[in-house]
Amino acid sequence: MLHITKEFPGIKANDDITLQLKKGEIHALLGENGAGKSTLMSVLFGLYQAEQGEIRKNGKTVHIKDPNEANRLGIGMVHQHFKLVECFTVLDNIILGVEDTKRGFLQYDSARKKVMELSQKYGLRVDPDALISDISVGMQQRVEILKMLYRDNEILIFDEPTAVLTPQEIKELMAIMRGFKEEGKSILFITHKLQEIMAVADRCSVLRKGKYIGTVDIANTTREELSRMMVGREVAFDIQKKSPQVGDVVLSVKDLVVASKAHNNNAVKGVSFEVHAGEIVCISGIEGNGQTELVYGLTGLEPVKSGSITLCGKDITHASIRERSKDGMSHIPEDRHKYGLVLDYTLEQNMVLQRYWEPEFQNHGVIRSQAVRKYAQKLIDKFDVRSGQGPVTIARSMSGGNQQKAIIAREIDKNPQLLVAVQPTRGLDVGAIEYIHQQLIAERDAGRAVLLISLELDEVRSLSDRILVIYEGEIVGDFEKAEMEELGLYMAGAKRQGKEAAK
Amino acid sequence: MTVLANIISLTVIFAVPLLLVALGGMYSEHSGVINLALEGIMVIGALCGCFLLRAFDQNGFGKAHPQVAMLLAILIAAAAGVAFSLLLAFAAINLKADQTIGGTALNIFAPAFAVVVTWAIQGQGQTTIQIPTWIKITQETFGFERTDGFFATLFFKYQYLTTPVAIILFIVAWLLMYKTKFGLRLRACGEHPQAADSVGINVYRMRYAGVMISGFLAGIGGLAYVIAVGSGFSSSVGGYGFLALAVMIFGNWKPFTILGSALIFALFKVIAAYNSSIPFLPKFEGLKDQSSLYQMLPYIVTMVVLVFTSKKSKAPKAEGIPYDKGSR
Amino acid sequence: MTKKKPLAENQMLISILASVISIAVGLLFGFILLLILNPSKAGVGMSAMLTTGFGSLDKFGKVLYQAAPLMLCGLSVGFAFKTGLFNIGASGQYTMGAFFALIGAIVLHLPWWACLLLSCVGGGIWGIFPGLFKALFNVNEVITSIMFNWIGMFLVNLLLANTPIMLASAWGASNSDRTADLNVANPSAIIPKAGLDKLFGNSPWINISVFIAIAVAILMWFILQKTTFGYELKACGLNKEASRYAGINANRNIILSMIIAGALSGLGGGLYYLAGTIQYVLEKSVLGMGFDGIPVALLANSHPIGTIFSSLFISYIKVGGSAMQPNFSSETINIIIAVIIYLAAFALLMRGVIMKLLKKLAGKADKEVSA
Repeated sequence: MLHITKEFPGIKANDDITLQLKKGEIHALLGENGAGKSTLMSVLFGLYQAEQGEIRKNGKTVHIKDPNEANRLGIGMVHQHFKLVECFTVLDNIILGVEDTKRGFLQYDSARKKVMELSQKYGLRVDPDALISDISVGMQQRVEILKMLYRDNEILIFDEPTAVLTPQEIKELMAIMRGFKEEGKSILFITHKLQEIMAVADRCSVLRKGKYIGTVDIANTTREELSRMMVGREVAFDIQKKSPQVGDVVLSVKDLVVASKAHNNNAVKGVSFEVHAGEIVCISGIEGNGQTELVYGLTGLEPVKSGSITLCGKDITHASIRERSKDGMSHIPEDRHKYGLVLDYTLEQNMVLQRYWEPEFQNHGVIRSQAVRKYAQKLIDKFDVRSGQGPVTIARSMSGGNQQKAIIAREIDKNPQLLVAVQPTRGLDVGAIEYIHQQLIAERDAGRAVLLISLELDEVRSLSDRILVIYEGEIVGDFEKAEMEELGLYMAGAKRQGKEAAK
Repeated sequence: MTVLANIISLTVIFAVPLLLVALGGMYSEHSGVINLALEGIMVIGALCGCFLLRAFDQNGFGKAHPQVAMLLAILIAAAAGVAFSLLLAFAAINLKADQTIGGTALNIFAPAFAVVVTWAIQGQGQTTIQIPTWIKITQETFGFERTDGFFATLFFKYQYLTTPVAIILFIVAWLLMYKTKFGLRLRACGEHPQAADSVGINVYRMRYAGVMISGFLAGIGGLAYVIAVGSGFSSSVGGYGFLALAVMIFGNWKPFTILGSALIFALFKVIAAYNSSIPFLPKFEGLKDQSSLYQMLPYIVTMVVLVFTSKKSKAPKAEGIPYDKGSR
Repeated sequence: MTKKKPLAENQMLISILASVISIAVGLLFGFILLLILNPSKAGVGMSAMLTTGFGSLDKFGKVLYQAAPLMLCGLSVGFAFKTGLFNIGASGQYTMGAFFALIGAIVLHLPWWACLLLSCVGGGIWGIFPGLFKALFNVNEVITSIMFNWIGMFLVNLLLANTPIMLASAWGASNSDRTADLNVANPSAIIPKAGLDKLFGNSPWINISVFIAIAVAILMWFILQKTTFGYELKACGLNKEASRYAGINANRNIILSMIIAGALSGLGGGLYYLAGTIQYVLEKSVLGMGFDGIPVALLANSHPIGTIFSSLFISYIKVGGSAMQPNFSSETINIIIAVIIYLAAFALLMRGVIMKLLKKLAGKADKEVSA
């Protein structure tokens, strides 16, 4: 019997989580983004050290300091982002770190034999001499699996293995996983897709917000129950808001296709929707289902492959970022440090980041510093942005909440027709979240169109007038009001409107 | 025919430092560290090698055992190169410093240090270390009479011990990079250090190894350059370190193409230096100082190649990016 | 995220302290080296390095004269740094600037100010390449700059050799390895001394070039600090993604900033060779002046006003270095400069240490100011 017990109270990422893996079982680990799944697995694989708690294997306490140690204990991991050297061959990648040598020279023959044997045994078709850069994502994943098998690992961790695969490839992977189980290997399967769990797992442990919720036998449970465990029943503080005064169409997106940077498939696959003045439309979904690319396509950060975007009747499909901004689009970006702010600029410089070129702030190319100062001070007062030295504070030194407030102040004060807000409350404390929610609703009530992209179901539920569920780059549901469990099913791809999801 | 033998032989002797130093650059970059300091490392290697030769010349050991002395000089040049390269490794790997600025500092340091030390040892104003003549490989080295034929010119007119050493090192460098697990791991660190780390390879240690090997090869390359030029060491290697960087890029970070491009660049150097005495070159009527034209060409060709290949360049993907274990 | 107290004065103080520490470590290293090489003369050598610049009006005149091109090369490197580029090609741009200025002076018989404008054009042209190659083909600007340093040097040699009128031998002198003496060829191209030579005890070096350089430094400060163009450039350098988000055309800015950086270095070349005291010698290796712009910029933390002082310092110890001969080679100075650059390579680390020390000193005064 193989037992792993992992307990570590304290730090939020994983709060007192116990996980037991039996020999020869497929154990799913389910949870929303940020529930702590990946952290937990990184601890197991030796990439992080836990503050408290212990890991036991076969009843014996072990200390896993690095991946080498994990490997020695027979623990292998397929990372969500593959760890493959692109310009190496498949075989080189598999043997890297555990090479056979003879008189100092690499020996490939026995390695090749072993890889081919494993490949046949488990149906993992690979070409050992192909370069990683030339093969499909599915085959790359098979290489990652072979890497674990080549090291004779007994405990296999799969971190979101299906995120980048096509349906056929997913089917194959499921079959392969069942094969491992029959061989007596144990599998930890991290996912948030319910139907995959129902299809392949024996047991399922659920995490929510860093806490352990429970472990259930798949045979005795339903999707609905899992969904409830994952999402939770906590009711967020309800926000007072008037019923929406929906006006004209502000944003119209038709058949939008955006390519992905991570893999060869399109990330956004023909999305169409409209946003009207005076409503908050929320795009809800689990991370990595095309939201980021959709926003990049809308705001001009990435080129659009096909389809059209119309803002207030004007076609902006191929317009530059600056033009979109002039035409009335404001964008609260997902990553405020990467996009939203120049961290080493002062607060006042950041306040005019989208407007410094307007005549109000410059005269023949010379910045009107008095006007900038006055404007920044106005925004600081109006939006209660707190900082050490007011307008001349370096943005980097401000707290996350106030940085976000500054961005929101800047974007809202532009008087946009459309406000695109991407995860505007990520990583903020309750007070700041509440404030930002109020601002978004105030914008809506002022007759502006708001497009909110969020992973937080509470936020989605309490703010939105309409919810669009995105799953694998497609809009699979459109709701006026929805139950949480219902939403969870759509987000996990178990249901979709129009046609029933393939089992 | 003798002209041809002269050209070939000179090309080889000028290609030797380029080859060695470019291979050094290749090792460093495949481990993930941009080594802009090659020029400086060459200077330090040459300085130490030349001083050892000078000492052997003065105490008579050199005349008695010229090739043994030369081998020792090569070793000391290599050792000095390794030691100097540690400064870059420390800044780039431990301190995660800007690799180009760190390399620039070493490039400014090395020639200045060489001048100062040369002054201090040889006395005021004596900025050139003379290279003893006995180091050359001639027929007499093997106990034959001196002759003047085609093959004699080819093998025994310009060659030094550095040439066979370079041939051996080239083979070793190629084998080490592509046929051993060390090479496989090193290249993994330059391409995808996170992947290397995830299979238990110590990225920091591999990068140190890469930089030190580059120091080893560039140190020898520095000495090889000085004796190829033959007019003594005046604290400079004439931009050969940068030229070697161009050779490495031109050679697409691969040993055999680096060998080829080192020979091409060396040929340009030889043409630039001896263009008036090479009969079959195009003569530009009325153009003075043609050597500048020929010296300029390799750099221009490199730029043109860079423009056309930059989209699918084989440069190691993670070069120049400090590796931080924490960020994945 | 750091939550340190970010007083603007504090930042400035930290930068200055970091530079002072770099200089101190550099000088200490140099001194130790001298002690090892020749213990009995080390003290004399060191004091020669540190006092000569103020020792006589003539020497001080030379300090100011050399500071001008250093300042411009430093401004050039620093300006590129602000946009996130490493301009190691200041040397080639400087050479091109000098060449254009001398063509204007000797062949075209232009007055000095027109020659200086030409030198900006020459340097600017040489600055286009690294920027253009980076923006269009994504070729690393460091590699391009290095290649164009050499191409520039050989090209200038080639062009000078084929323009006989440019050489000293065409104007009554015997040597053909250098350009004509401007006092003979075109005295109107010599930068005016405006009576400064009398003030400086008839120093042959002094002219108004250092004031031109200071004016340019102030202009660069104005551009970077006060204009939308400078705002865009700095945004690109500090955070390329955020500047894209703000609708700034990053490629255009890369090319423009490299042209300006090139023009600055080029002007440096013009100022140096239009003084009438030094003739351009056909070189075999790349000119060092451009490389000296790197420590000037690093010591000043790329701040244009700081560049004025750092270039004066570098020039000062360079003049002092010559006075160390014959006991020690003047190259000792370059060792000190190299140490300073090496330390600057991990400036962030050093700043962090200084910040911590300052915090400790300030103790209770430094209260957390974040809401």
